[in-house]
Amino acid sequence: MKFLNLLKKELRELINKQMIIGLVITFAMLLAIGQITSSVMDDVGSDTGTVNICDHDKTDYTKQLIKAVSDAGFEVKELEGDSSDRAQLLQDLDVENLIIIPEGFTKEVTESGKSGVIEKISSMQSSSALASLNDKSSAAVEIMENTTKQYIMTKNGLTAEETALIDSPLSINEVTVVKDKSAAISSETISSLISTQSMVIPIVVFILVMFTSQMIITAISTEKIDRTLETLLSAPVSRISVLFSKMLAAAIVALINAAIYMLGFKGYMGSFLEGEIDASVIGEALTVNDIMKDLGLKIGVSGYVLVGLQMFMTILVCLAVSLILGALVNDAKSAQTVLMPIMVCAMIPYLVSMIYDINLLSPAVRTLLYAIPFTHTFTAMNNIMFGNMTLYWGGLAYQVVLFIICMFFALKIFTSDKIFTISLNFGQKRKLKKANK
Amino acid sequence: MANVLEVKELSKQYSKVLAANKISFTIGKGEIFALIGPNGAGKTTTIRMISTLIKPTAGNVLVDGHSIISEPDKVRECITYLPDEAGAYKTMTGKGYLKFMAGIFADTKNQADEFVNRASEMSSLGERLDEKIASYSRGMIRKLLLSRAVMTRPKLAILDEPTSGLDVINALEIRKMIKKLAHEDGMSFLLSSHNMLEIEYVSDRVGIISGGILHTVGRIDELKERYNAANLEEVFEMVVNENEVP
Repeated sequence: MKFLNLLKKELRELINKQMIIGLVITFAMLLAIGQITSSVMDDVGSDTGTVNICDHDKTDYTKQLIKAVSDAGFEVKELEGDSSDRAQLLQDLDVENLIIIPEGFTKEVTESGKSGVIEKISSMQSSSALASLNDKSSAAVEIMENTTKQYIMTKNGLTAEETALIDSPLSINEVTVVKDKSAAISSETISSLISTQSMVIPIVVFILVMFTSQMIITAISTEKIDRTLETLLSAPVSRISVLFSKMLAAAIVALINAAIYMLGFKGYMGSFLEGEIDASVIGEALTVNDIMKDLGLKIGVSGYVLVGLQMFMTILVCLAVSLILGALVNDAKSAQTVLMPIMVCAMIPYLVSMIYDINLLSPAVRTLLYAIPFTHTFTAMNNIMFGNMTLYWGGLAYQVVLFIICMFFALKIFTSDKIFTISLNFGQKRKLKKANK
Repeated sequence: MANVLEVKELSKQYSKVLAANKISFTIGKGEIFALIGPNGAGKTTTIRMISTLIKPTAGNVLVDGHSIISEPDKVRECITYLPDEAGAYKTMTGKGYLKFMAGIFADTKNQADEFVNRASEMSSLGERLDEKIASYSRGMIRKLLLSRAVMTRPKLAILDEPTSGLDVINALEIRKMIKKLAHEDGMSFLLSSHNMLEIEYVSDRVGIISGGILHTVGRIDELKERYNAANLEEVFEMVVNENEVP
């Protein structure tokens, strides 16, 4: 009954209006960002769009080129205007991109045997990758180039079949093999799909680690600073139950948060996972899920249970480490400082795992990274996907050992005088000693 | 008068500092005992040892016959402790805080309700008890914490600076309340305070501590006579100066 009373109090402290509002906003934002990104990607992916062309040559040949672009599904806008100041030209024509076919272009291509020169002007308004993808001029220029290529080849007496053969002399059937399963798709496509899918886990883990640690550090340090811990520990309730009520409440709240973040990210990622891969990549349209299933890379229920287990262990390690760090705090300032080591330990594997495959790094770097307990959580999804179960279980065992060690020290601090005497403020201690002298 | 508290040669050594050195005193049933001394004298260390928060290096304390070393759980059932400058859980309402603390001390729901009702009445905070503690003034928090400390009618209430942060009227009320609880209800008090006027008004006996040593213990009139002093403040000054380490 007393433990329940303590647990209820801890939960009430942790689950407050701010936390609920924050959670709802994050969830809604993830869904909204998912929708926006998905619609932008659809826009980028579509082949239609306006292409602005200034034709100064005005020959039958250039008209044929423009028609080819138009036939490919682009909306072509023919404009008139000229200025050596290209910025001024775009401004005058009120466009953001422009293709200029200069006077004499047809003559150069058809008679002189030289390469024709086409000018492509793009106005750069942001460094965003999606912004530059929205420019349709590049695709239009490519169509013009192919049309010219075909014209030259036909002019030199090649048949349509020969022209097509020169255009694509090799047909590559790419097959990717994972363990004993295979699928007709390039390994680059698979790896980009996996990196998109497994992006969810590191973000959730990072948020979870930071959130859990902050919760327990704040819970312990506030009680120490407000001296409510002294009142509580002099009351007829065991120190262990005070400690475990805090840990259990933090674990419950962290798991609720993890579940909601996961749901939010699932909604965010949904559009990518259900998306179809371009038929030209694999010959027939398939969803990402189908391919993952074919290659045995799709994580089933048991896989998700293992990911969950790893996450739960991570939360426990966080709680144990934070208990020790929280006990070191004597004022609000140091409460922020002690979070630093956890932040660094979460940040390093988070960033590294987003850029590199940790298992492919040099042994020294790998050992260093694996010494950080959170690295195992970041790599769990990949290890389960590719069947590296020794690494997975090894990581989990390491976290269990670390948890036991940290809990041993946490209990030692909480069941001794140390909880009241231990401090991080070495500088202050020295000052105090000097003042007393 | 039976002793509720027996402090026997209590010592505490922190790495290089001897914070408490063979401190001994007793508190009888219904008695108000005040421990006074300058800053860093060892008051808080002694109080923390009696409250079972820290373990002594040597010596022992018996609270209602239970040892703080061998039966700390039993001791915690007999005492309540109010630290100096203590706060309360700001996200709770006053009533919520009392209910939470009552749940820690009570064995049944009825007993918990009884504790809450008593504390609500003693705190005289009225409807403000339904508001969040974050909106309370320092004085209001102190009144809430004091009523919490005595709501269970413990055998020994340990109060560090009980009236700090309270205005004159509220401080007077609290002093009267302490005297009434001790002399009418038989509750014993161990107080620590810097306010000599308060100690003189409220305490039955006083112990003066400095440098971790309890130098003198006695009734206030006895001490005044012994040191030929007009008031407790003068006694305090003489004892502290006499024992000052050069």
